[in-house]
Amino acid sequence: MIRIPIERYRLDNGLDVVLSREDAAPVVALNIWYGVGSRNEREGRTGFAHLFEHMMFQGSKHVPEMGHFALIEKAGGSLNGSTWLDRTNYYETLPAHYLELGLWLESDRLGWLLPAMTQEKLDNQRDVVKNERRWRVDNQPYGDWDERIQALMYPPDHPYHHSVIGSMEDLDAASLEDVEQFFRTYYAPNNAVLTICGDFEPAQARELVAKHFGDLPRGPDIPPIPGRTTLEPTLGGEVRETVYQDVSLPRVYTSYRIPPFGTDEYYTALVTSYILGYGKAALLYRTLVREQQLAQDIVAYAFPIVVGASMLVIWATARPGRSAAEIERGITEQFERLRDVEDADVERAVSLLAAERLNELQRLDERADQLSMYTQLFDDPERINTEVDRIRAVTPQLVRDFAARYLGTDNRAVLTYVPREVGA
Amino acid sequence: MSDAWREQAPEPGEPRAFEFPDVHSATLRNGMRVVHARHGRMPVVSAHVVIDAGAAAEPASRGGLAQLTASALHAGTNERDSNQLAWDLELLGVQLNTDVTWDAIEASITPPAAQLADALAVLADVVRNAAFPDGEVGRLREEQLAEILQRMKEPRALANDVVGRCFYAPDAPYARPLIGTTESVGAITPSDLRAFHRDRFTPSSCTLVLVGDIDADSATALAERCFGDWTGTPAPLPDLIVRPRHEGPSVHIVDRIGAVQSELRIGHIGVPRSHPDYFPLIVMNSIFGGAFTSRLNMNLRETHGFTYGVRSQYTFRRGPGPFLVSTAVGTDVTVRAVEEVLKESERLRSEGVSDEELTNARDYLIGILPLQMQTTGQLASALAELVTYGLPLDYYDNYRDRIAAVTAEDIRRVAREHMRPETFAIVVVGDAASVREGIEGLKHGTVYEVKPNGGTA
Repeated sequence: MIRIPIERYRLDNGLDVVLSREDAAPVVALNIWYGVGSRNEREGRTGFAHLFEHMMFQGSKHVPEMGHFALIEKAGGSLNGSTWLDRTNYYETLPAHYLELGLWLESDRLGWLLPAMTQEKLDNQRDVVKNERRWRVDNQPYGDWDERIQALMYPPDHPYHHSVIGSMEDLDAASLEDVEQFFRTYYAPNNAVLTICGDFEPAQARELVAKHFGDLPRGPDIPPIPGRTTLEPTLGGEVRETVYQDVSLPRVYTSYRIPPFGTDEYYTALVTSYILGYGKAALLYRTLVREQQLAQDIVAYAFPIVVGASMLVIWATARPGRSAAEIERGITEQFERLRDVEDADVERAVSLLAAERLNELQRLDERADQLSMYTQLFDDPERINTEVDRIRAVTPQLVRDFAARYLGTDNRAVLTYVPREVGA
Repeated sequence: MSDAWREQAPEPGEPRAFEFPDVHSATLRNGMRVVHARHGRMPVVSAHVVIDAGAAAEPASRGGLAQLTASALHAGTNERDSNQLAWDLELLGVQLNTDVTWDAIEASITPPAAQLADALAVLADVVRNAAFPDGEVGRLREEQLAEILQRMKEPRALANDVVGRCFYAPDAPYARPLIGTTESVGAITPSDLRAFHRDRFTPSSCTLVLVGDIDADSATALAERCFGDWTGTPAPLPDLIVRPRHEGPSVHIVDRIGAVQSELRIGHIGVPRSHPDYFPLIVMNSIFGGAFTSRLNMNLRETHGFTYGVRSQYTFRRGPGPFLVSTAVGTDVTVRAVEEVLKESERLRSEGVSDEELTNARDYLIGILPLQMQTTGQLASALAELVTYGLPLDYYDNYRDRIAAVTAEDIRRVAREHMRPETFAIVVVGDAASVREGIEGLKHGTVYEVKPNGGTA
């Protein structure tokens, strides 16, 4: 197993810096994780963390409107940002000699975003984000599943109860004052991890980081995540919802409450998700898709989220003529077989996970993002190297115990989509 | 705190050389080619078998055959049934990917370097001895039919699937959806797959691309061991028919009652991969709609807020694939968005591009190349493309020089020759009742109502 090199230090203003050198190609990846996501949104402002992310690309005091995209593309780089439940990240990959350009752009919007904000920019990006919602959710078959699953799985006062994209109504309500308040609350060096990964001279990189970020003031302490942040380990009952939608085939999502990302039990859940639903030798593929031909496809996914509890979600689309109820029964039946899960099932899942990590860490942007993630969530960038040991530590007995504890019908939400004729 | 120095973007440092890895090629005694590049620092190897078995080689009545053949590579071999095949690979940590385009099927794996020999032996068994058993082929055909049903309700897939038959005459292969139709897939039998495999999966019509933590001699020796005693001769490829459906402008509406967005596909038949104007065209396209800061995206997204994003692209194939603008816009701004696309197209053709736009686009395409070649999988795919289109293996050594040589005059010329908005086919997948009147008002040729499952009402 290879080891990703890590140097970590902190500026006086609280900015966490992670450097990881790899000079195989003249490329450098920058990545910043801010410790703010949809979990931090207040009532009536769902979707705001993501809308705010869009505003970060609209120029800052020294960077003209559209300058961010234009300068990076002219340099031959790529860039983007994304918002999720626990975080917002911003990243660019650049030819190595443009490292300072990336640092200048990232520091300028962290230090001087507000002088460049206008109502016109906000209205434009509000329209863009509303179209993003239509594109991802409202105009897509099953497009609202994660929104519905989150609402079923988390109580109304939990920060994961609402989706990242938010509601149209709340997007309409967002104002310039919200932008200013959100920026002053969450966008501070002491709420950020900056990772540089790739071809750079460490001494020079430290100097450039100090030059661009060193004189930004520390912000106030970050307020606690609003609402209820602790949960019982299991749901203590079953919740169900049926949706009639303009889809071709029924689909069922079953979701189980599991321990948060980062815990030992989470890695057992991760391995279990691969045993169940990843690859063509996975238990549910073998049985529901290949043997019984109930399902058209099957996916199992453990969410890497940290507040209170996470979810293991399994979804399957019915073959024509089959019903969601048959699939649901099939899944429950197969869970019984986890009681006598075999060594080979665990070995297969662990091998796939380990090889997948090796493959994905070829990409500098992926390395940088994971280093930011482990630092931001667990204060421990070394997890990029030790994660695979946590995965290898999962045994058949741990999987059996996990299944007995968490994969019962009293710990799940079931969301079913049923085809409905439109215009009829 | 003085921040005057921040007024200017910092100057770049000294550029560091990017060397495209050395690419070696060897031919096994049976005529199979092996292409190799040592790459990266991670202990992994990507192995791609590139098979000259694209959808353009299907019999016309068997649309979707290449796709089904690719997915049925998972159905097992003479020695392994489908379950055993999956176990043999996945215990090594390996997933088999099978992709199909109009020009090739690609079967690929990226094992840890230590597992390469074992995994490649399985991949070779799949490519050489795929058995296409009745039961598994039947199941996979039903899945493909169900996927066709699903794509009729998914607006992006639906738009992509109908574009072909709006652009190309019905007898042109490119008029079909790659996945086939309910009728054509329903007619496919396991013996069709076996015949397609016999005719197209042969040593001289397959190339093995190996990229990663392995040296050239070991790569060739391993290839010889896995494929050296394979025999077979390919059948000739059918001639490719390419004709437009309409010579003039046309509009095609696919009704999705109540849709909150319209998926738009606007364009016409483009040029083949081998076209001498390839480089001016990709630079032009980058400026027009290929990059985030392209004219189309700045107009439709950043100025008007009509969309989350818009792209244009040339779909390069052995024959002329579509040149296409793709976006999804709010239902109420559909007509205005189409007007802006037409306006930008006309402006590009009549005015060309500015020197600044040209410089920026060249810099972008030159600079981004090393970023796009980071992983063994990315590099293997790039080499596979060279194989499929018969391009020299040192192609990327002077790729950047050829981008740099594109002039503003080149762009003006190719814009005049290849950009013909007056013949655009405009495909709208959206709420017909809301958009039809406005679309007719554009007076862009006949307006057709297209049904998702084929045919024109």
